[in-house]
Amino acid sequence: MDYFAGVTDALRVTFVQMMLISALAMGIFVVGMYMNLKKWGMGSTGYGDTPSKSILAFPKMLMYQMNEHAHVHNQSVLETFVLDILFQRRILRRSPLRWFMHFTIFVGWMTLFALSFAMFFVEMVHMIGEKVGYAHSLPEFMYPEIFRELLAVPNDIFSYILLVGIIIAIYRRLFVAKVREATIAYDSILLIGLTIITISGFVADGIRTGRFWGFGIDAEIAPPMALFHVVISLLFCIAYIPFSKYIHVIAIPLALLANKGGE
Amino acid sequence: MAKREPSINTENFTAVQLMELDSCSRCGECVDWCPTYDASGKDPGLAPRDKILRWREYMNKSYGLRAKLFGPKEIPEEEIEQFKDDVYGCTTCGMCATVCESAINTVELWESMRANLVKRGNGPFGKQGAFLKLIGEYKNPYMADNKDRTNWFPEDVKIEDKAEVLYFGGCTAELRQRKLALATARVLNKLGIKFTMLGEDEICCGSALIRTGQYYVNDVAKVNAQKNIDNIVAKGAKTVLYACAGCYRASIIDWPRLTGKELPFKVVHITEFLQDLIEKGEIKWEKSIDKKVTYHDPCHMGRHVGVFEPPRAVLEAIPGIEFIEMDRIKDNQRCCGAGGGVKAGIPDLALGVASTRVEDALATNADLLSSACPFCKRNLSDGRDAIGAKELEVEDVIVLTAEAMGIDLSDTPE
Repeated sequence: MDYFAGVTDALRVTFVQMMLISALAMGIFVVGMYMNLKKWGMGSTGYGDTPSKSILAFPKMLMYQMNEHAHVHNQSVLETFVLDILFQRRILRRSPLRWFMHFTIFVGWMTLFALSFAMFFVEMVHMIGEKVGYAHSLPEFMYPEIFRELLAVPNDIFSYILLVGIIIAIYRRLFVAKVREATIAYDSILLIGLTIITISGFVADGIRTGRFWGFGIDAEIAPPMALFHVVISLLFCIAYIPFSKYIHVIAIPLALLANKGGE
Repeated sequence: MAKREPSINTENFTAVQLMELDSCSRCGECVDWCPTYDASGKDPGLAPRDKILRWREYMNKSYGLRAKLFGPKEIPEEEIEQFKDDVYGCTTCGMCATVCESAINTVELWESMRANLVKRGNGPFGKQGAFLKLIGEYKNPYMADNKDRTNWFPEDVKIEDKAEVLYFGGCTAELRQRKLALATARVLNKLGIKFTMLGEDEICCGSALIRTGQYYVNDVAKVNAQKNIDNIVAKGAKTVLYACAGCYRASIIDWPRLTGKELPFKVVHITEFLQDLIEKGEIKWEKSIDKKVTYHDPCHMGRHVGVFEPPRAVLEAIPGIEFIEMDRIKDNQRCCGAGGGVKAGIPDLALGVASTRVEDALATNADLLSSACPFCKRNLSDGRDAIGAKELEVEDVIVLTAEAMGIDLSDTPE
């Protein structure tokens, strides 16, 4: 089973390596989210009520608020989901530039995540097919080598969309005085992590394909570079979510839902 | 060795509010728009973003991963005391909630922090501590005899013993700004609306206690809300009118929350009531008010409940008024500075915010700055005096309505 970077035997990251790292990242994420739910659950399930200290307190209070009549902006869950969570109009209302920055990061990141997941899915289906014996009857595009090529262009497009957002974010943090002065480690770690993941992805792909981002580095370095990219992605963007500013990717949509899109 | 206890607790926070602490993306919009941060000379402690960050850190020090593994980290008392001062330096105007990209319900969050700190023994702030005793003892925060709420009305004012419409006057209008209460009563009389009032059975709506985090102490706010509701029902009221934005907000949002029940009557601001009558053509104007008038949205009526158009509709209907808007209105309105206990607790800060708002009005070249809340009127008048803008009149919409209807208010007692 080859995974992610396989062109030749020398350029492979093994399935076992991948599954171990993924399981570890998921495990840390689940433990972290459990701890967050416990922490949030130290609140009550009603205004002025005694703290319930139950892990179910948060989902209960969330459902209560989502079903409560709001005097201002009493909008539907669907409208909140589409316009406030996906389209992020609250950011657009405040600052078109910041919206563009965040939206490109959001779209780039989520699409690359979906494409990676699709690749993983095809690899799994094909691998199981080989063991069980149905691999030969799979449609042509479900062969990992072909599917990988199909994803090459969208992967490139969304990687650059993501990069544009990151460049704007770095520019703001470094050169806009008000933003720079307000920046704390909590903010920097998120951006540094995102930048390392994105650049390492470009470099890993560049080394494997011999294109610009490879910087002429020997192709033998491709597997460890790919492994580095995968490890750092999984650790930063899955395992580290509950313990860092990355939690906003979960908490903000929940806050938007709880407050019906906000005032 | 016994494990150290956390320095803070989660009393009075809901589970969603604790989650909201993690949803702040630190974009800084709240800092740009906060009126008290601005009026304080940009005191970093007053920045809403900073308050969320600090309480999140307190939560993590007390209940986070490190606290689970090695025990909670102590938070120095001086730090919590400073935090308390900063949390009370807020008018609960809700501007931060309006601009928050994460949709955090910040007003409720500040009130929960305050309630938590009161329970912990840190809050409230300064003179706010007297609210509980005063409201408990006098049923109003002004130390006034509760009989004086309505016994001063001139004899021509007709108040029914029972009626389907009840005017809930509120402590400030009945005991301090009687012109507003008299204007409301006489406007209703002139319109032929039979109405009743609670008189000495009226108790403070609880806004002062709720906004300053003292609502749960001995359940005073809850008990008073229930008594007011029962007394209103006993008067046979189906519609309750308010000319005070603070009482209006407390009734429509806080009373159902405190009592856990839907209100058995309709809550209506007097400007909503008047707008309806104007649209039906039932108001006869007798006098022209030839002035350029601008309008200040009270936070408790505008951003908190969403009533923006009715007061404007009333002003625009009054003959002679040239209505002009300030730059910051409706959702983006700048607070007058009086709310959230700031007027009582930190009067200098309240005055600073009010002065800025008066300058907003002066920029329109208006002759008159109107509002629909006696508390806003009081602080805007103080702000006007502080900057020496004597030429600017400050008056409530209902008083202007009364004057345009030819109602004389010159006999209003002090």
